[in-house]
Amino acid sequence: MARERYQRQLDGLRSDVLDLATRVIERLEDAVDALETGNEALAREVIEGDAVINNRYLELEKACIDLLALQQPVAGDLRFITASFKIITDLERISDLAVNLGQYTLEGEASVFEDIELRHLGESARDLVVDAMDAYERHDAAACFDIAARDDDLDRACKDATDAVIRELLASRIDEEGSRAELERFMTDVSNLLLTIRDLERVGDHGVNIAARTLYMVEHDDSLIY
Amino acid sequence: MDESMSENQSRGKETETSSSMGDFSVDAADIEDIPDSETIIEARDLDVYYGDERALNDVDIKIPEQQVTAIIGPSGCGKSTFLRAINRMNDLIDIARVTGELRFKGKDVYDENVDPVALRRRVGMVFQAPNPFPKSIYDNVAYGPRIQNDTDNLDERVERALRNAALWDEVKDRLEERGTDLSGGQQQRLCIARAIAVDPEVILMDEPASALDPVATSKIEDLIDELAKDYTVVIVTHNMQQAARISDKTAVFLTGGELVEYGDTNRIFENPRNKRVEDYISGKFG
Repeated sequence: MARERYQRQLDGLRSDVLDLATRVIERLEDAVDALETGNEALAREVIEGDAVINNRYLELEKACIDLLALQQPVAGDLRFITASFKIITDLERISDLAVNLGQYTLEGEASVFEDIELRHLGESARDLVVDAMDAYERHDAAACFDIAARDDDLDRACKDATDAVIRELLASRIDEEGSRAELERFMTDVSNLLLTIRDLERVGDHGVNIAARTLYMVEHDDSLIY
Repeated sequence: MDESMSENQSRGKETETSSSMGDFSVDAADIEDIPDSETIIEARDLDVYYGDERALNDVDIKIPEQQVTAIIGPSGCGKSTFLRAINRMNDLIDIARVTGELRFKGKDVYDENVDPVALRRRVGMVFQAPNPFPKSIYDNVAYGPRIQNDTDNLDERVERALRNAALWDEVKDRLEERGTDLSGGQQQRLCIARAIAVDPEVILMDEPASALDPVATSKIEDLIDELAKDYTVVIVTHNMQQAARISDKTAVFLTGGELVEYGDTNRIFENPRNKRVEDYISGKFG
């Protein structure tokens, strides 16, 4: 095999992107768990751990730029590096969304309306990211289309959840005798619940982005990008 | 053009029934078809032999007019042989033998009625090492028109050729100096001016920048881009990034003298269909 150093760098990038994904997915799982259980210590871990992800993201971004500048990749190598360059951005943003979930945990009660199944939404979003990274690792083009289709299901579930929150809000009688502080707390919880649903929907979108770039990498097919 | 060329080589007519290079079979889908109306050069079943050695193996290709076509491939793959076959420069090699068809604007260049010297006026060539004549800059460019006894408005034509070769501003005040006193990059542009002074339709370039430094190389590359507005350029290069930078179409020859893939340059470099081509342009083979 010619260009052995270059090949080692490509293999290293692939392995590092998968490692970053593993860390980000763990943080997402922790964030959803903290939200569901009100575990503030776990939420703080998620928030504080974001700096590590950011640093790793910048290192991988530099590795991609170095490969592009110094090795002049073409063909499948070029598609792999440019796809990876985009995918690490999606992973970093999923980590930022996990930070948001951690913040909501610290600010109040996610279970303000018990019928809203945040864990289910969180697991659906997480599964999209896990499967998208699995497609990236295995060069599985068919899985990319499946992920894009499943995101439609998540979008619907998030919209249903949002509608349910609004219905619950309209149906609930704000206790006229309650204190102003209790009212504000209630509104914060409702607002954060809506933001949580939106953020989990966005996690799914990033999973689709990863699948779209993976499809381009594997088959030079940009149909999921545009 | 070189008038002392021996023209004793003729095209063989035998038909090759099969290739012994079974591992290098070509998928026809890898060769892009160009509409006849846009084609200026076409090879069909083109073989070139040096003695018993087959240097080109059943090459089929259509080269489009007024575009830059790059020919790439590892050493010994036949890319320079193909270039030299286009304007019959292989005629100068006694043991060279050509079979199949090679058409320029629909006419078989190996037809017995074709005058190779006249052909080379329409299909000029620039070589790897700059080779200006030991004459003045002016006389280098005027050489072609003079040997054709076509000297009307000669000053104007020399100036136009030097301008088109992006050299005029650097030499306009010293046209009587010897061409060989110019820098390497300037000498190569002088050779390009000499080639275009006779108003060719095609310019063949055989690694025209491989002996030049990066600055001179980028000037030649800019020039090729300009030349493609008026001429068809076919360039052989070892430098794959150069092929990617300057060409519209890329043809990849691999070992055995076979054209393995041909198409739009951006597609070849972004998504080649042939695995061996991908390995070659990625630097993992060849």
